Amino acid sequence: MNNPYDVLGVRQGASQDEIKAAYKTLVKKYHPDQYANNPLSDLAQEKIKEINAAYDQLSKNKGSSYSGQSQSSQSQQTYRGSQNQQSQNQQSQQQQQRNQTTTEYADIRSTIEQNNINLADQMLDRIMNRNAEWNYLKGITSLKKGWYDQAFRYITVATSLEPYNMEYRNTLQGLQSRTNSYNQQGNFRGYNAGGSFCSICNGLLCADCCCECMGGDFIRCC
Amino acid sequence: MFGYVTPYKSELKIKDYNTFRAYYCGLCKTLGSQYNHMVRMGLNYDLSFLSLLLSSIEDKQDEVKVENCIAHPIAKRMIIGENRSLKYTSSISVMLVYFKLIDDWKDDKSVKALVGNIPFKMSIEKARKENPQIFDFIKEKLEEISVLEREKCNQVDEVASAFGQLMEKIAAPDFIEDEETKRILNFLGYNLGRWIYILDAFDDIKSDSKTGNYNPLILEYGYSKGDDIDAFIKKVKESIELPLTFTLENVSKSFELLKIVYNREIIENIIYLGMRSKMEQVFNRGGQKDEQSI
Repeated sequence: MNNPYDVLGVRQGASQDEIKAAYKTLVKKYHPDQYANNPLSDLAQEKIKEINAAYDQLSKNKGSSYSGQSQSSQSQQTYRGSQNQQSQNQQSQQQQQRNQTTTEYADIRSTIEQNNINLADQMLDRIMNRNAEWNYLKGITSLKKGWYDQAFRYITVATSLEPYNMEYRNTLQGLQSRTNSYNQQGNFRGYNAGGSFCSICNGLLCADCCCECMGGDFIRCC
Repeated sequence: MFGYVTPYKSELKIKDYNTFRAYYCGLCKTLGSQYNHMVRMGLNYDLSFLSLLLSSIEDKQDEVKVENCIAHPIAKRMIIGENRSLKYTSSISVMLVYFKLIDDWKDDKSVKALVGNIPFKMSIEKARKENPQIFDFIKEKLEEISVLEREKCNQVDEVASAFGQLMEKIAAPDFIEDEETKRILNFLGYNLGRWIYILDAFDDIKSDSKTGNYNPLILEYGYSKGDDIDAFIKKVKESIELPLTFTLENVSKSFELLKIVYNREIIENIIYLGMRSKMEQVFNRGGQKDEQSI
């Protein structure tokens, strides 16, 4: 097993506060939500286990670590859970017909879970009645194929067709929040959009020229 | 391979910038020593990023030399000594030159020219012998892309995915034995390739709209002559910006799982700042290619 200090990226003998802070940052970074529909999600979970073990070893409050396992099975549950939600929402009129499509979609969902994306895609293409669920599942297969433009598009359509479906909304928000967290990582490292260093320099040089015209000199050397 | 993968200089320490350059120069030197000087035209930032990344997950630290080089005969420069990552990326560079990907791409985004090219014959034979599988794979994928172009494929996702698969394979050389590391590099490579392809297509919208060259974005978003090009570019940007940032997010998520031993700060700088800034630069100049590079 790796040295727990190395795993958490803190120096030997770091304080409890430092350890806790490092631990929190890492858990956030490798959280299952951050790796949803990512083919590397199992590796992120391994990482969380390693981080938890290191934290438990270094922390005085043993057993206080976050459990990645239960969280991820929870998200699995929500993924399946919406089927129940959907069946609750059904109107009695077309129940018969809808039930049929629901089983069809349930089949497609399990095909996706088995990671047979091409087959799921073919099954979807055969369905003519393209409702919110269809768009959502098409979005998920696109996501798994790496066709992200279409993934965003289909999932957006699904949420606009059924704005109160929490599963669709959570998926879309999850994607959006991940692009935000990428940007935040950059901002944290000093990314400066638009007002770049050059434009500040240009501004100063400009000011200098103006000053010189007026008889002064703002930057001596030029 | 178009040189979009570069560091964000204003947040990079001088020592890290020098190291980045040392990999670039190292790739150039390796191209010269392993092949010949003419194939140095295949040198580019995207592949030198790959050599940096692959070198940084090795246990052994790279040797840094201070040498002269052809382009800068007087000033001595830091150069990374040959290692297996540099040898590997140099053979990939030669293959990409051979398939004329670089040149034809610049001309008309086409990969039609798969004909033999005499000055490179010796080099390409050597490169092919070193990585025969990759050679066949590149050939196959480029043919696939070329068919999509001929058929005027109007889904950028589809063409970009084929190019992504090309990079997916290139990013994980055979000498990487650890299966997990291979998987991570594959996914990183896919997203890197997808990002490069789409960004380049966006960058070319204006010129392709004039020349009528193949451009999947023009076809997908339906531009016809006489439409307001700036409004069109704005529309495309609004649609692809989020998924393209998501693509970079996937690159970063893969990177975070790699066991990076050296050069972490430089790679972080490139992934979180350099590529993002390049993307915003391309978006802001509105589909009009600017040949100037860093």
